[in-house]
Amino acid sequence: MSSASSLEVEDLRTEFVLRDRVLRVVDDVSFTVEPGQALAIVGESGSGKSVAMRSVMRLLPKTGRVAGGQARLGGTDLLGLSERQMRKVRGRDIGMVFQNAMEALNPTLTLERQLTEHLLWHGICDRAEAKRRAVETLGDVGIPEPEKRIRTYPFQLSGGMRQRAMIAMAMVTQPSVLIADEPTTAVDVTVQRQLLDLLARLKARGTGVIMITHDLGVARYFCDDAIVMYAGRVVEHSPIRPLLAHPAHPYTSGLFSSTLEVGARQRALRPIPGSPPDLAHRPPGCAFHPRCDRAEERCGQEDQPLLPWSGNGSDLVPGTVAETGRPTDERTDDRADERTGRREVACWKAVQHG
Amino acid sequence: MADVTVRPDGAGSGPGTDTEPVDGRLIGVDHVDKVFSTRAGDVHAVRDVSLSVRRGETLGLVGESGSGKSTMARLMMGLMAPTDGTVTFDGVDLSTVRHGDMRRLRAQMQMVFQNPYGSLLPHYSVSANVAEPLRLHKRGDKRSRRQRAIELLTMVGVNPRFADHYPRQFSGGQQQRVAIARALALEPKLLMCDEPTSSLDVSIQAQVLALLDELRAGLGLTLVFISHNLAVVERFADRVAVMCLGQVVEIAPTEILFDSPRHPYTQQLLAAVLPVSKDPLPAPATPWQPEAGDLPLREVAPGHYVRDCTT
Repeated sequence: MSSASSLEVEDLRTEFVLRDRVLRVVDDVSFTVEPGQALAIVGESGSGKSVAMRSVMRLLPKTGRVAGGQARLGGTDLLGLSERQMRKVRGRDIGMVFQNAMEALNPTLTLERQLTEHLLWHGICDRAEAKRRAVETLGDVGIPEPEKRIRTYPFQLSGGMRQRAMIAMAMVTQPSVLIADEPTTAVDVTVQRQLLDLLARLKARGTGVIMITHDLGVARYFCDDAIVMYAGRVVEHSPIRPLLAHPAHPYTSGLFSSTLEVGARQRALRPIPGSPPDLAHRPPGCAFHPRCDRAEERCGQEDQPLLPWSGNGSDLVPGTVAETGRPTDERTDDRADERTGRREVACWKAVQHG
Repeated sequence: MADVTVRPDGAGSGPGTDTEPVDGRLIGVDHVDKVFSTRAGDVHAVRDVSLSVRRGETLGLVGESGSGKSTMARLMMGLMAPTDGTVTFDGVDLSTVRHGDMRRLRAQMQMVFQNPYGSLLPHYSVSANVAEPLRLHKRGDKRSRRQRAIELLTMVGVNPRFADHYPRQFSGGQQQRVAIARALALEPKLLMCDEPTSSLDVSIQAQVLALLDELRAGLGLTLVFISHNLAVVERFADRVAVMCLGQVVEIAPTEILFDSPRHPYTQQLLAAVLPVSKDPLPAPATPWQPEAGDLPLREVAPGHYVRDCTT
């Protein structure tokens, strides 16, 4: 088991082939997840975040195809593996956690069958040892009386418990990388925090986590880095705290000012006008320009590549760090991050004006 | 039954019913219980809840799944009868209303649901969806109903050019706007919003909230706003009731509830929130365990009621 490899995705391009046209759903997406690090993929529905992950896992529907790029896990390009080889990677080297455990777990099998399946299928250990590990993992994820609960079916558990069971299933093989697709969207806030703390333990043991989310609070709490996706492309790539303190791309700041936050009643709610584009009619140039209040003619004409962004540390955006009264020491932390962490943004205006 | 705080005006009783005179409440819920009997035993979904919704206010109802929020919504809408206690709407006890009159009363209380696509008729155009309540309540003729539907669609920000399109041709945010237009067709007094923005993307959620905010001010609506998203409720509600296991554990004006929560469950709920621009509060060392039995709700400050607890 390679339990300390990083996942490097480079120029990933995924297309869906429809009857009369080809849609590019993921366009030149690159990122790296180091062991023990967590990357947030932030974006709204239809931005391509789930498809990008399914491309890496090679779980695209029949109409989808990877049209270019690489996804290397510890030196192996996953996109070049045969289906047979890929099956050895899924579940063992890369685990997955989904939003809805009721749909992701098999309703006709007990937890024991589902939790030991990976271990047995990959030939990691024998049945007795598999059961021992499964019980242990169930206990680790905070399910009371794991010896007893392992004999139950998913429908006999509450929503929070089912989500824990699914995380246990992904954890049992101690994968190098865990892909979590909105793992806490369907659960209550108190459970959400418990689940994230649970995933943090996995991270501490060296697993790299990719978390797909549209909740910036979750991203801030759990992740180290983030990429922001819009219409299939990465529009911003940054360590998470500087990203939230000074969003560089207009879409990122739009997401930020659309997000309601407890204890910030005074902050004006400024929704982004319009709705995300239909990929069949992707606006030319920067796909966000029709909704962007800073757009100029050039934005609709030129594609915007991701370029390094250094920003301006003293130029605090209203309503972010300065006004939220975060302790000064922490603010310095963010600044430090900002100096060391690489930031990239796909907006010429942001690059020019900082 | 819990203890009874006698209201200063002597007009009624019940914790959480506050000092509002009876004609100031649009909805009155007094000592309501709801028990669902299942083969596996009884489920006590709502226990001894008393609260009122004042005319023109927005009452937020928060709590985790299974806390009884949606059951409360159905009870307040007269969609189910309480096992015990009374629900009044505009001074009328809903349990005494006959079937035909109930339909007339329903025109004054309309609902917006979480899943807009599921709540719209898929085989009706959006204008027909919006006109449907008018048709059911025999208002106007076909032409005037369509005219009214188009006005309503314009009001909620749906381009009337698309009035003859079907719900599936719209995005989730647009569908929710259509559902809001339909809810407003009968000019209701009350809009019951059950997680109206939970299934929408962040940028769209903000748009729909801005719309609801504009509408309630413009039309003088009374809102009950149910959500598990505390940030949305903080922004939107005048008063907030926190539910846990079928009971209201705390009820207070929004600012007071968020700035100085008194009940351990409310504190725990607020501590679990993950803020975007600052670090979260520390999680409580020992989570509060819901207690059995009916502990009383007490007024700790004007309009701020907290349920007793032993821990």
